[in-house]
Amino acid sequence: MKIQELIQNLGLKPLSRFEDRDISGVFISDMMSDAMANAKSGNLWITVQTHKSIIPAANLVDVAAVIITSGKTVPQDTVELADRHAIALLSTDQPTFDLIGKLYGLGIATS
Amino acid sequence: MTQCQHAWKMTNAQYGFTVFERCSHCHGVRTYYAAQDTWDEYREGGCTWSIVENAQTLRFDLECEKCQQQVDFKDLMGLMYCTSCMEDCEVECAQKALAPQKTWILAAFGFLPHAPETEISAARLEILTDYFNQRRDTSRSRVKILPFSLIKQVSLCHGELIHDIGMLSPEPFPERKPLF
Ligand SMILES: [Zn+2]
Ligand SMILES: [Zn+2]
Repeated sequence: MKIQELIQNLGLKPLSRFEDRDISGVFISDMMSDAMANAKSGNLWITVQTHKSIIPAANLVDVAAVIITSGKTVPQDTVELADRHAIALLSTDQPTFDLIGKLYGLGIATS
Repeated sequence: MTQCQHAWKMTNAQYGFTVFERCSHCHGVRTYYAAQDTWDEYREGGCTWSIVENAQTLRFDLECEKCQQQVDFKDLMGLMYCTSCMEDCEVECAQKALAPQKTWILAAFGFLPHAPETEISAARLEILTDYFNQRRDTSRSRVKILPFSLIKQVSLCHGELIHDIGMLSPEPFPERKPLF
C-alpha cells in the first residue's frame, strides 16, 4: 500500500508535502535513539513525539511516513522541516492503540 | 584475497545518556556517555561541574556480516542534521552541492570539549555513511555523514542533533536550549 491510499483509508491528515511511496511495516516509538537502531526503510513511524528532531531521525532511517497520534498539536517548525525533506508527516486524532488495530486490519503489521 | 564489500549491522547497542555538564566558573561545557542518568554536582580543580541536560541516547558499534570486522563508534556523541543555518558553512555548502543527487548531509559529533583526538576519522565516517545507506532505499535518496569540524561556527549552528531530550519528564517538551 502507498501513503496516499493509507491517508484515504484511515482519514489521516497530511501536514507536509511528500512523494508517495510504498509502505512496509510499522515502527512504534517516541524515541529518536530507538528509531536510529530499529526503524526500517519504508516503515510507518507512529509516535506522539512532535519535536522537530523527529524529522531528521525519520529521514536518517528512511521511514515512509511519520504519523502523530492522539490529536497532538504539531509545531510549525516540525512541519517546515518535514516539508523541506519531503517526509510525509501525518496526524490523526486516534490514539496509537486504535490506529495500530486499523493498520493490522489493513494487513500492515510490524516488520 | 578479494576485498570485502562490507554489509554493516549495528552491534553492541546500549541505551544510556549523553550527559551535558557546565562549569559555573569557566563556563566550559563537556559531555560524556553514562549508563544511568545522574544530576550530581561536583568540584574538580577550580571547576564546579553541574549537569545541564541528560539526553537519552544510543551507543553502538558496527560489524560486517560477511567478514566480521568490527568498528567502534562509542566515541560518537550524535548526528546533527544540517538545517542550512549559516551561509558559507562547509556543511551547508556540501548540502547544497549534493541536494540535486538527493543526498542529505549529517555532521557527526564526538563528545565535548572538541579536540583533534575526539574527531571521528574520515574512514570511520565513511563506514557510518555506508551503514545508514545500506538501511535505505538508495534509489530514492542517500545520506552522507561529515565531520562536525566542517561547521563554520559550532556555537552559532542551529542544526538539529538527533537525540532524546526531556524524555524522562512528564512535562511537555520544553524548547531546547542551545547546546554549546
Ligand atoms: Zn566485510
Ligand atoms: Zn571550569
